[in-house]
Amino acid sequence: MKPQPTLSVAADLQNLAPIRRFVEAAAGALGFEPEIVSKVQLAVDEAATNIIIHGYQGQQGAFEIELRREGNDLVVYLRDDAAPFDPTQVAPPDITLPLEKRALGGMGIHLMRQAMDEISHRRGSNGGNELILIKRGGSH
Amino acid sequence: MEITVLQKQGRVPVTVFQIKGDIDANFYEQLLAQAKEAHAAGMRDLILDLSEVKYMSSAGLRVLHSIFALLRTDAANESDEAMKKGLSDGTFKSPHLKLVNPSPVVREVLRTSGFDMFLEVHRNLKEAMASF
Repeated sequence: MKPQPTLSVAADLQNLAPIRRFVEAAAGALGFEPEIVSKVQLAVDEAATNIIIHGYQGQQGAFEIELRREGNDLVVYLRDDAAPFDPTQVAPPDITLPLEKRALGGMGIHLMRQAMDEISHRRGSNGGNELILIKRGGSH
Repeated sequence: MEITVLQKQGRVPVTVFQIKGDIDANFYEQLLAQAKEAHAAGMRDLILDLSEVKYMSSAGLRVLHSIFALLRTDAANESDEAMKKGLSDGTFKSPHLKLVNPSPVVREVLRTSGFDMFLEVHRNLKEAMASF
């Protein structure tokens, strides 16, 4: 079976740009159109940022990003060895609140949810986290 | 990310940041630091020219939020009551922070987050300058 595109990276914010380039190249190679690719890029960037900042909290670490085509769907797996963090449990922000009444930050998970069709989280088999992001083909 | 700082004179002096690159969690602090530095030097009105920004994540929204707060004054039209009323009838926009020419990707992030409710978006610098 052909290996699925996978990137292993150090948990460093400097790797966000290379991660975005990887997603663009890999999703394009899997035959997904640009509108879907840009949404997945944003979601992966936000997820990776959370892993680096909140998961590893500045400590050294590494995580893996795998892209797969499953039928018409683009599925992204993010796997890390960081402390448990489940973004699906974070309450959505109230975007009708005036700017200054909103908590600073907190938008990343909202953008991730808006960009993807399904997000799920489970603990990795060795501890750590596995985040699964699904973008359904044909949906924008 | 590169930031070129220009000073323009319309009805009021306006600082322009021409930003080139992606505004993500790795670079947002650079933009915020630049804004704080300019504010300390007297900047009170700012245009962010996003023509060469291909990508912005929630980190970019965080900076916009911070700059919005930095530039907000105690003028009557910026009070909590004025903002609340203006938000409910869709008329409130920051009078001090304006955006120029975001890409479709960036525009979508502004829309999804609701930040386009608070910030004017102009097609070009000339239009943005005329709005102050």
